Amino acid sequence: MTWKLGELPKALPPLRRRQVLTGMAGGAALAILPRSALSQGGKVLKIRGNANPSSLDPATGGAGSDHVYLYNFYDTLVDWEAGTLTPKPGLATAWKFEDPTTLVLTLQEGVSFHDGTPFNAAAVKFNLDRNRMAGISNIKQDVASISEVEATDDLTVTIRLAAPDTALPLILSDRAGMMVSPEALGNDPEANMDRGPVGTGPWQFGTWTDGEKITGTRFADHWRNGIPGVDGIEILVIPETATGLRAVQSGQVNIAYQLSENQQPLIDRMPNLELVSGPTLYIYQLYVNSSRGPLQDPRVRKALSMAIDREAYVNATQAGIGEPAYMNLPKAHWAWSEEVAKLTVYDPEQARSLLEEAGFADGLDLDLRGYPDQASVQRQEVILAQWAKIGVTGRFQNAPIAEASGRFFGEEKLGDLLLSAWTGRPDPSLTYALMYSEDSYYNPGRVAPPEGYMEALQASRETDDQAERVAALATAQKLAMEAQLCIPLSVRYEVDAIDSSVRNFNANLLGKPKFRDVTLG
Amino acid sequence: MLNPLQRRMLRRRLVQTIPVLVLATFSVFMLLKLLPGDVAITIAGENATVERIEEIRESRGLNDPLLVQYGNWVWRALHGDLSQSFLSGEEVGTTLLRVFPNTLFIVCYAILISVLIGVPLGMLAAARSGGLIDRLVMMLSSAGVALPNFWIAMIFVMIFALNRAWFPATGFVAPSENLAGAIWHATLPAVALAASGIAEVARQLRSSLVEILHSQHFRTLHAKGLPFGTILWKHGLRNVSVNLLTVISLLVNRTLAATVVVEVVFAIPGMGNTIVNATLQRDFPVVQGAVLAMVLTVVTVNLVTDMLYSVLDPRISQR
Repeated sequence: MTWKLGELPKALPPLRRRQVLTGMAGGAALAILPRSALSQGGKVLKIRGNANPSSLDPATGGAGSDHVYLYNFYDTLVDWEAGTLTPKPGLATAWKFEDPTTLVLTLQEGVSFHDGTPFNAAAVKFNLDRNRMAGISNIKQDVASISEVEATDDLTVTIRLAAPDTALPLILSDRAGMMVSPEALGNDPEANMDRGPVGTGPWQFGTWTDGEKITGTRFADHWRNGIPGVDGIEILVIPETATGLRAVQSGQVNIAYQLSENQQPLIDRMPNLELVSGPTLYIYQLYVNSSRGPLQDPRVRKALSMAIDREAYVNATQAGIGEPAYMNLPKAHWAWSEEVAKLTVYDPEQARSLLEEAGFADGLDLDLRGYPDQASVQRQEVILAQWAKIGVTGRFQNAPIAEASGRFFGEEKLGDLLLSAWTGRPDPSLTYALMYSEDSYYNPGRVAPPEGYMEALQASRETDDQAERVAALATAQKLAMEAQLCIPLSVRYEVDAIDSSVRNFNANLLGKPKFRDVTLG
Repeated sequence: MLNPLQRRMLRRRLVQTIPVLVLATFSVFMLLKLLPGDVAITIAGENATVERIEEIRESRGLNDPLLVQYGNWVWRALHGDLSQSFLSGEEVGTTLLRVFPNTLFIVCYAILISVLIGVPLGMLAAARSGGLIDRLVMMLSSAGVALPNFWIAMIFVMIFALNRAWFPATGFVAPSENLAGAIWHATLPAVALAASGIAEVARQLRSSLVEILHSQHFRTLHAKGLPFGTILWKHGLRNVSVNLLTVISLLVNRTLAATVVVEVVFAIPGMGNTIVNATLQRDFPVVQGAVLAMVLTVVTVNLVTDMLYSVLDPRISQR
């Protein structure tokens, strides 16, 4: 049985005039929906956040991605210059080492917490004692050098150290220096403000909907003049970078930070977006287990490093956005040393001879570890292709970050090398201590560093003269690079997209943006 | 309301649900535990000492034998406590109450679109079986089945969000907060999810209808002088309603699973996003709670479908 095309209208159910009109009204309502739903009042800065925070209490959180949220609600005792990470006054207007084990902080006057209680020396003592002693503290290690904190007077704090530690001021620019309101914790160091931060920061906490967004409103009594630049802040949690870029492109957010380097050409092509970029402390590198097989020989480790063309690596894996890493710091950092950077060169011929000298003229097969995401696999392919030229082969076994790192650094100690990254620390002495000390977690072979290394590191912590610190840190870094205890590859650059209304937003070397100066045009 | 046969079927189905729930949650729990990686390391943070990691393992009960850990979770779940997220500390029940309605809203919206577009298309194709429209509809529905949801989602975002700015590219508004905003935000994801649903409904409906329209029963209706519209919409649709219901119930379950990718593309705080993030971080209380909620939904959909079968075709409950 078949029907003709002309019968089709009859095949549809009969419609009354009222039903047609209702349908049209529905259609019209849908058409005007976007306009009403788009409206937003006040100056609210909307940002794409790349991960749900682990906690909004600086002492209990653990993720490096938390800082971008924490900076909005807390001020730090010490601040830093965005371009170089040189320390500058924060809640502490000045600091001085009276002797190598006594640090005196002078505090900013007229500061209050969001709950109205005053910020003073007693509050600093409560915070530092909580950070170093409370059971819930995840940052005891950061302030392990402090042996006693004394509130000398209302605006003076005296910190006594178990050993000289001039890295402390910069450590106080990180989690350990973020001041929480003791009153809000009921003066109980074991209490937490994981989900209800109360600090002295530019915005007062509003709401936190897990995996969705975190909001804040202007703290009218903030001590810095003209800060914050906007009345409200909203950070929308959008882990996926492509979705993050679409969010800023379509106007749902004003700023998307920490996008992928490969998205830079896209940002450049979008007329309504501007790119904000700059070096960070984040360094892609190969961690080496120097206690395993051929890697015990420094010549082999050196050869692996020399066989890598870092310029080509940056072009291939970071779309040319970034810089080759010749040490564990980016070129813009105050402790970067040209002399040390010159130690790392690209010379495949020399690399081959080093391998021959070490007895691996016929090549070498390595057990390599890494992460399974697309960008990591691309990095692995570039490394393997470059090593193939000197006869080094291997296969990457990939697993999620927690697993691969856990098995490489933890008790199992699986794999010769791990292709991963170092996210950086506010003071370089922390980076060097964590990466190369014999008992450090990030030294998978627990190999003792070269002679003189620990002494140089200690020397960098005993002086607060910047030039002396630079020299001592350069010595430590030089010894580590000569022994090739790890293989730095490239520096990741911040890739942020902002819309045309955003003013005064700058990338910083830590790679963790602060928004307090941002205004909307 | 229910006859004794239907009541017996309902009881039997409810009892069958228990082993399904136990099996699903137990296998997911074991799979999570089989995956290498340690949530304690994630909780402890970047600079944590070995002692701190051990302390966290102990306090969260991660050192207990696996069966004890699972048993504890079941015991608490039976008392209505789905415990807390290892990472955010939020009650899992609270998380689910927040995110699940979002996912359900998008799924229902997608199913609605699938039916509203799929049914007329299927009927058109059946009415013009073998003709140009039939071939066109079948071609389009093949494309709808073949194209992945996330690809369609991205194309829609490019056209309707980035170029035309008719709909938002990302984000979501809870229906309880603002229904109009929720519809506006959910339209693109729902249409992307519905693409394969429309195709599925149209194809299945067309093949069932073509078969029925060629039966003697329908020839008689036509011979009686009934208008074609009445034959198609009243008698035809009623005869294929059981098939249609089967397709829709399968579609609900499949769309629920498909939200995982689409929610990531649109940054929607729903179940899919929650499960993906919790799994990556080994946050097992959240994964377990979410799986429990998903399994309960699928079981409920199947149960309701079975009950509706007997309403649409009373002969089914007689069997």
